[in-house]
Amino acid sequence: MAVQSISSVVALSGTQRMTIALSALLLGVFLVYGAGLANSAVLHDTAHDTRHSYGFPCH
Amino acid sequence: MIIRFLLVAIAAGLLSGVLMTGAQELKVTPLILHAEQYENGGETDHGAVVPRSGVSQLAKVFNPISPALAHGGEEEASGILFGLDRFGGTLMANLVTGAGFGLILLAASLLTGMEITARNGVLWGAAGWLAFQFFPAIGLPPELPGFPAADLIERQSWWLATVVFSAVGLYFLVLREAAWAKALGVVLLAAPHLYGAPQPTDIASDVPALLGAEFAVAALATTAFFWVVLGLLLGGAMDRYGRA
Repeated sequence: MAVQSISSVVALSGTQRMTIALSALLLGVFLVYGAGLANSAVLHDTAHDTRHSYGFPCH
Repeated sequence: MIIRFLLVAIAAGLLSGVLMTGAQELKVTPLILHAEQYENGGETDHGAVVPRSGVSQLAKVFNPISPALAHGGEEEASGILFGLDRFGGTLMANLVTGAGFGLILLAASLLTGMEITARNGVLWGAAGWLAFQFFPAIGLPPELPGFPAADLIERQSWWLATVVFSAVGLYFLVLREAAWAKALGVVLLAAPHLYGAPQPTDIASDVPALLGAEFAVAALATTAFFWVVLGLLLGGAMDRYGRA
């Protein structure tokens, strides 16, 4: 996997790239935490089979 | 600009989540339902979470032990969001999880400066599977309902730490050239397993071991499918819509 120079990533400025990366990371972690790890009974019951399928530690 | 990139990742994740839901129905979900037939309503293992001091006090506020968690009566006592049935809840959770993993994968490609494309999407997906599924599974194999397990908070903490160590370790091992970086990557990958995952003191279970073995493999295979699909879809979508 060589670094590809004609890319959307490289065309962005460093600040733009970091802003998008950190926004995506925060939102992604929030979603995965809510579905996979949050200690809420309702979230647990809704996501029960998903949590087991993905190997999230569950009950 | 930011929104467009986020939407690309979310869209790839949602589609992967839909496909994951179909894949789960093949083997994983039937095994979960089968295992629940052996699960006692008493929930000896599930009640083993003992709130501890410090950080655990915070977790106690969101204590996972509730009547709704008693699997014996899950269908009638459950509180699935929006009154969905079990399949609907799973589909929704898969959509949310898919979108979340799609965003995390995008973030990883932006942070490392290694663009995700249709060509390397499989490799990005494989990296996600290794970090989120395979390496944590070495210590905490995907478990069926009714399996013995250690304290939930401890397992979740170990799981999270292992994901972070594995992701950073893979970065140093795969994407950095220097010998010290590759060595550091191996150390980071190995560290959580040298520390050791939390294990239950009593490993007796009413659920047949055969189901557990089938489930561990099925869960890893199904998530491998999910991550490869996600990597390919996100790579393809970034090729097409991710241009600045």
